[in-house]
Amino acid sequence: MTQSPIRCLILACGNTLREDDGVGPWLAAWAEERFRDNPAIRSIALQQWTPELSEDIAAAGSVLFIDCAIDAAPGSVRLTSVEPGDAPAALATHHLGPAQLLSLSQELYGSIPRASLLLTIGAASINLREGFSDIVSAALPEARTLLEQAVARLLTPTPKP
Amino acid sequence: MSQTITIDPVTRLEGHGKITIQLNDQGEVENANFHVTQVRGFERFAQGRPYYEMPSLMARICGICPVSHLIASAKACESIMSVKIPHTAAQLRRMLNLAQTVQSHALSFFYLSSPDLLLGMESDPTARHIFGVVAAKPELGRAGVALRRFGQHIIELLGNKRIHPGWVVPGGVTEPLASAKRDEILAMIPEAYANIKLALTAYKHIAESFQPEIEVFANFPSLYLGLINEDESVEFTDGALRLIDAKGEIVEDGITATRFNEVIGEAVEPYSYTKFAYYKPLGYPAGSYRVGPLARLNIAKTMGTPLADWELGQFKQLAIGPVQSSFHYHHARLIDILYGIEKIEEILSDPRILDTHVRATAGVNRLEGSGQAEAPRGTLNHHYKVDENGLITWANLVIATGQNNNAMNIGVLQAAKHYIKKGKFTEGILNRVEAVVRTFDPCLSCSTHALGQMPLVLTLLNADGEQVDQVVRN
Repeated sequence: MTQSPIRCLILACGNTLREDDGVGPWLAAWAEERFRDNPAIRSIALQQWTPELSEDIAAAGSVLFIDCAIDAAPGSVRLTSVEPGDAPAALATHHLGPAQLLSLSQELYGSIPRASLLLTIGAASINLREGFSDIVSAALPEARTLLEQAVARLLTPTPKP
Repeated sequence: MSQTITIDPVTRLEGHGKITIQLNDQGEVENANFHVTQVRGFERFAQGRPYYEMPSLMARICGICPVSHLIASAKACESIMSVKIPHTAAQLRRMLNLAQTVQSHALSFFYLSSPDLLLGMESDPTARHIFGVVAAKPELGRAGVALRRFGQHIIELLGNKRIHPGWVVPGGVTEPLASAKRDEILAMIPEAYANIKLALTAYKHIAESFQPEIEVFANFPSLYLGLINEDESVEFTDGALRLIDAKGEIVEDGITATRFNEVIGEAVEPYSYTKFAYYKPLGYPAGSYRVGPLARLNIAKTMGTPLADWELGQFKQLAIGPVQSSFHYHHARLIDILYGIEKIEEILSDPRILDTHVRATAGVNRLEGSGQAEAPRGTLNHHYKVDENGLITWANLVIATGQNNNAMNIGVLQAAKHYIKKGKFTEGILNRVEAVVRTFDPCLSCSTHALGQMPLVLTLLNADGEQVDQVVRN
């Protein structure tokens, strides 16, 4: 089975049973539908980002991480660049952040995507419930727009110096 | 003055637990306990649900070994339905269970335990994780990550999800295997062989320097329980249970899922939410036993696959009779992985695996049913009762961690007594006591893994409850 090279890997994290924590998987599902005709874009949603993802990341041309943020203003939507980071001071066996995943890709496979972005949506509540808080629901259009812009940016070839 | 040491939570486990160590007036260890502090409620809230929902519900008990719950639960339902599932469905489930065993063992060995083995029990605790492993032995780190991906990808290909696939149902599986998926899995096999061979070679070399730990890491005679085939080869999905004693003699054989509760009882201790399984004729705690990779290899006469058979022969040379030290769970786990890869290749090489008849159907034909399978950590039994409409009226699950519970407690006490003298302990000693529990790879999670950081605080208190000493790991 041959697959097209992944030029943009969308990697979402969250639990759809924990209210706003599920916004990442929701956006990933939306992106999968939105970009379903483009085999160069792949969308993966998981409850946790684990070390095994480092191989997918190493093989991708670019990566867009999506997660909720519990330390940001509820409903705020942010797009930031991500660089490889150090191992966390605390033990991280089951869950890694974007910077650590990039670092692991570099260490294990000697490669990282040429561009990596993180899209976050500030969570108002992560209680045990399906669906989103009103403030996060209201932020979804902005998040979708920013996601589309981010993918377009990541698919744009980097000009040669 | 008597003192109590508390390790809470114990790190690098599936779920949350704590260890308390009681010292006497001379500062010597008097008692030690491993506490499981989570509450499970699955047996209770399953009541009233239709039996055919049980596999999907019960799989949510765990995020690391949901496939074993799926299979044991589906088999319990098939006992209620009185159906025999198609051969192809049974083989597909076997492959799914082995894929889960590979990925779960890879997590346990490479992510949770290899930091201790590669970097040392006394190494910097902030470096004891997969990054530390990758920095010290990048090829081993790559092998571990790749083996976990191998198992996860097979689960995803078969069940369409990495975690909690809904593919296994009462009566078989929901859809047959497509030839493209079979070919994709077969294409991954050579790399998987290379990775496990690298790991086995590295482990055998590393283990030579851990002889002191091997001597005191739950190294004691016990009973062992595990699934086995009629030809005495190891089994993960079907077969029947065999119980052997510390000399390797058969104590009880041919224990089917239906007979399980006739011979296995569950005791309760006030310090843990996990029950303590025991062999009824010997009573509790004399009838306590061990399950999981060490038990499986102690019980089996053969693995039934050539490469794993050769490794089993090497493993059996570690002792005359059953291998007693729980440190050797690590070694047994790697042989399980090798067996899993070989067996998956064997299953896929049979053209019947593409057969499209993969599900049997029936309604409620019995009001009670049981199913069992080998989870990565050991034997798992599901037992249900239903009313005439097929609604669950009662459920009981006996999980591997409960069956290893007494052995883990004995092991913690053995290591604590050996390492803690005159009330003094270091972080390295603390880590060794935790590492005893890690050899069993207990799964304490009731649903999915705990999220976030797991700080560890070990506090030494005097009899008045005043803090004497403390080690903190953030």
